[in-house]
Amino acid sequence: MTKKSQGEPTPPDLMVELAGKLKPSSDVQQIPLQIEEKQAFLLYLKTVVDGLQLQNIVIKPFFELSSERHFEAYVNSLPNKVKMPAKEELLIELTKGNVLLVIQDRFVLLDLRKVNSDTVLQTTIEPTIHGPQLALSESLETNINLIRQRYHDSSLKIETMQLSDQSHRSIAILYDEKVVKKSILKAVKKKLNQLDTPLVQSSGDFQLYLTDKKFTLFPNTIITERPDRIIYNLTGGKVVLLVDGSPHSIVLPVVFFDFLVSMEDVYHAFWIAKLTILLRYIALVICITLPGLYVAVTSYSPEVFRTELALTVAGSRIGVPYPSFIEVLFMLVFIELLTEASIRLPKAISATATTVGGLILGTAVTEAALASNIMIIVVSLVAISTFVIPVNEMSYSMRISRLFLLGYASLFGLAGVILGFLGIIIYLVNRESFGEPYLRIVAKNREEEAKGDNK
Amino acid sequence: MSTLSKRKRIFLVIIVCITGIFQTGCAFKDINKRAFVAGIGIDPGEDDDEKYKVTLKIAIPIGSLKQAKGPTYSYLSYEGETIGESIRMLETHIDKTLEFGHAKILVINEKLLSDDLGQFMDYFTRRGDLQLIAWVAAGRPSAEQVLKTEPETESPASVALFNFFDDSGTESPYITTTFLFQFRRDFFAIGLDSVLPLVEASENGKELIINNSLVVKDKQDPLELTPVETKDYNSLASGMVGFSYKVKHGDLTLLLNIDTVKMNYKIITEQGSPPRVDMNVKMIGIIGESSTDLAFKNLKKYNEYASKAMEKKVVKLLTILQENELDPFGFGLRYRATRLSNKNTISKWNSMYPNLEFDVTVDVELKSTGAIE
Repeated sequence: MTKKSQGEPTPPDLMVELAGKLKPSSDVQQIPLQIEEKQAFLLYLKTVVDGLQLQNIVIKPFFELSSERHFEAYVNSLPNKVKMPAKEELLIELTKGNVLLVIQDRFVLLDLRKVNSDTVLQTTIEPTIHGPQLALSESLETNINLIRQRYHDSSLKIETMQLSDQSHRSIAILYDEKVVKKSILKAVKKKLNQLDTPLVQSSGDFQLYLTDKKFTLFPNTIITERPDRIIYNLTGGKVVLLVDGSPHSIVLPVVFFDFLVSMEDVYHAFWIAKLTILLRYIALVICITLPGLYVAVTSYSPEVFRTELALTVAGSRIGVPYPSFIEVLFMLVFIELLTEASIRLPKAISATATTVGGLILGTAVTEAALASNIMIIVVSLVAISTFVIPVNEMSYSMRISRLFLLGYASLFGLAGVILGFLGIIIYLVNRESFGEPYLRIVAKNREEEAKGDNK
Repeated sequence: MSTLSKRKRIFLVIIVCITGIFQTGCAFKDINKRAFVAGIGIDPGEDDDEKYKVTLKIAIPIGSLKQAKGPTYSYLSYEGETIGESIRMLETHIDKTLEFGHAKILVINEKLLSDDLGQFMDYFTRRGDLQLIAWVAAGRPSAEQVLKTEPETESPASVALFNFFDDSGTESPYITTTFLFQFRRDFFAIGLDSVLPLVEASENGKELIINNSLVVKDKQDPLELTPVETKDYNSLASGMVGFSYKVKHGDLTLLLNIDTVKMNYKIITEQGSPPRVDMNVKMIGIIGESSTDLAFKNLKKYNEYASKAMEKKVVKLLTILQENELDPFGFGLRYRATRLSNKNTISKWNSMYPNLEFDVTVDVELKSTGAIE
């Protein structure tokens, strides 16, 4: 550093270079501190740095401490001090909200970032009655804090890394060292290092990049907003990924049956929990097969019905102009539109949308004989059953699977429904999630349990 | 490949997919394009040339169940040489597909029962969509009239004739229930004769009465069992309960409500003694009605009276059947199954059956006098 005896002090070359790279952004601040013999330089982005903290932690002590040496010692002992990265990454660190400080030719990086998205949100996607009511926040550090605070065990390891995409987002890998399966952890880390994605916005798209196959129907990971589900899965030996800026975490690997677990099951008494689980599986079967079954039974094998029901169904279809599968397709599209509309609309209007769509249109459709009464029951039942599936992504998958079954049913009748169902099962059996069989049934006998997963 | 042809190809694929959505399988037939046959009736042909007259009872679907007053049916009849031929012709008499999946009742005119039943039964057992769990009944005065009877108690979208047999409506030991598979099996079994319920239609066409039954044997006039005999047969052969027995002993008249009947028998052929059937019947019930006051401590006495009276009734039923050389209990089948089989087994049995002795022991166990002392 070249010092002039009087007037403006000159900042070090590196700092000038960095500041040049950040220009012409208006929030770049390059501030020299100077009093008597003491001299220091600050470089930071005003918008991402907590000004008050900077004032209290750095600027004030600079003027209070007696010498540069004292100040340097003080700075080195600050908890905000971050390890100095390579020169290329310094810019990224600055954009994250770190402050570059130069004293006596020594560069120090201080973490004084200001995060405005660290409020802990209410659970909205997976609400429970008895479970915790707060979800995660949109800040990585707050999220890690939330999880640490619920899981006080030194075996919980948190590794952070930075993605190489445009956003340079930080992600955290969480696992319990004692129970995690090493091979999975290794596979996940390998996958993360190989990632070559242009932009990651949230956990949602990030989990898609983690899957190898492009055309997938069933989710390969669970996205959850619930800290209790994260802890539940950590203790189960799973790996949890957190993405900075996203209020959702990614849990992997998963088996199909994980998607039917609601955290509520843990908080209820044995029989209540078992009953709700049973209900959920019934809902799953209903929501996949019912549209297909309706077509197959009414149009191919009405002998399956009781005579009374057959006559009622036949009676309710009097005057319906289209064949049953068009009727089902039409009503399914209608209910999908309704669901989509109520998600996209502001909360205040969505109630109106469901009323107009569900009640008024439903009645009008039967009045106009565009669909039978029984069809309306079928479609409503299907819609309700879909909402029973606790993890949202799985219910999306089911909404598509039932169209597949509907196609089979309208081509091959009841045998087609069985065939299509078999097809879905074969597809699921064939799948893997990070090396774990997707449709693995958790129950094992004692011998297998003892053997473990080591083949 | 140029971009244009690629676009064309994608366009073609989309067109094929969209048109593909509106295709169905071959057997696709909407439920409102099917006519549900509720029952099939078979009568002898009125025309001399034609052998059979087939009547179909077709249930008409109701649009609004709440406003419907009663069920509506349509009837189709055709006379033909064979049943299959007649049904094929009936398909041309209606705009909808005949759906036999719900044809659960097969009514045969009682006059046809002395004919060659095996031949025309064949059609029904071969036809895939006609279920073997259909009930078979004899009709009087004709199958057509039985089918055309629409009882006033019949509610919309339900068939009264089904309710008689499927135990979801009335349950009575007077009603014999015979399934098509059972009828065919019993009919062809050697040493066992089948029993059919006899459905009588009242003259005003508003009532169905089922309390008699017919014991059917190939190429032989069927024997009609009276309601009481039908009840006795049903309670012994199929353990049907929910009936009353009247017992008389001097001044005492008791009406027993029996709720459990168990019957077992053994055929005993010993050297030196005539062949006989040892039958043990166990009945459990309570006293439902009495002409005098009863005492709980005398229950054993009442048991004895009842047992004696029952024994007489059972022996009477068995004797009537024996005199007519009919065997709905399947004694012959049991004999064949428990003896070393040779070609003479059945002829030996046939000569033995008319002289068979019945040794019946009825054990009535009354649980209470039916009143609180």
